[in-house]
Amino acid sequence: MILCDTDRKILHRLQSNLPLESRPFLALSKELGIDEDTIIERIKYMIDNKFVRRLAPIINTQAMGREATLAAIKVPEDRIEEVSEIINEYTGVSHNYLRKGKNKEIPYNMWFTMSAKDDEELNSNLKEIEDRTGLVVRSLPTVKKFKIGVKFKIY
Amino acid sequence: MDDKNEDIDLKLIKYTQEGLPLTRTPYKDIGVAIGIPEEEVIQRLKNLLETGKIRRLAASIAHRKIGINANAMCVWKVPKERVDAVGKIMAKFEEVTHCYERPTYSDWAYNVFTMIHGYTDEECEAVIEAIKKQTGLNDYVVLYSEKEFKKVGVRI
Repeated sequence: MILCDTDRKILHRLQSNLPLESRPFLALSKELGIDEDTIIERIKYMIDNKFVRRLAPIINTQAMGREATLAAIKVPEDRIEEVSEIINEYTGVSHNYLRKGKNKEIPYNMWFTMSAKDDEELNSNLKEIEDRTGLVVRSLPTVKKFKIGVKFKIY
Repeated sequence: MDDKNEDIDLKLIKYTQEGLPLTRTPYKDIGVAIGIPEEEVIQRLKNLLETGKIRRLAASIAHRKIGINANAMCVWKVPKERVDAVGKIMAKFEEVTHCYERPTYSDWAYNVFTMIHGYTDEECEAVIEAIKKQTGLNDYVVLYSEKEFKKVGVRI
């Protein structure tokens, strides 16, 4: 299953905002020179085949009043599965990865992002993870944001 | 914004966050589902974008599936007074999808985080080399993901 040129063209455009007018896909069809119904059909195809996760509003958790952080833990090799399961239970956890330093050793191996409705909930969740795992959780919240915009070159 | 207004915004986001209706008139169909007119759906989405509560109304790509297989979190030790200038240089690279300043700890001295996505590891490495050259920074660690335990979009 691969994407055709039409799909790539649509996908590239869809990483930017969908027009806010009554017939957004008709507006796109004029921009891209692809028929309105074809655009809709190809988006459905790309979602059904999981090239696209979804076409939806991308929420800015902080602007919505939520608090978020990147957290890191040093998890012993034999407890990785157990600890990852505990962390993933929290609905505010959107990413959780095992990471390794390539050119240098680093003091933590599990990295996750967590958001919560406010600082209190965030800190109490992190504290709870510390209590449940007996491990230290380092919280690395954003001090300053220089870029956030996951837009990929589509070849 | 008063409470009622925010309630409607919340309802709108909750209804659409899993995906817009894929029809010729998605905004009208959202309106029908949550009980507000099409024009109001469009206006509210415009306001949410303008106020930054939603970053984009756009496609989230399954990047691994389309061949963007490599990602590197590269963390840099940057002198406090250079953070702004360096952050701006890093943000200019298309492959740098996220760039943040974060706090340090006694065992953690790397204060600038960049997330780099590419089709190959070599592509990510080339970006790191270019950043080194342009910023003169040399103290950094490349963190590769060995395993993904969870990756979902943020939901409210």
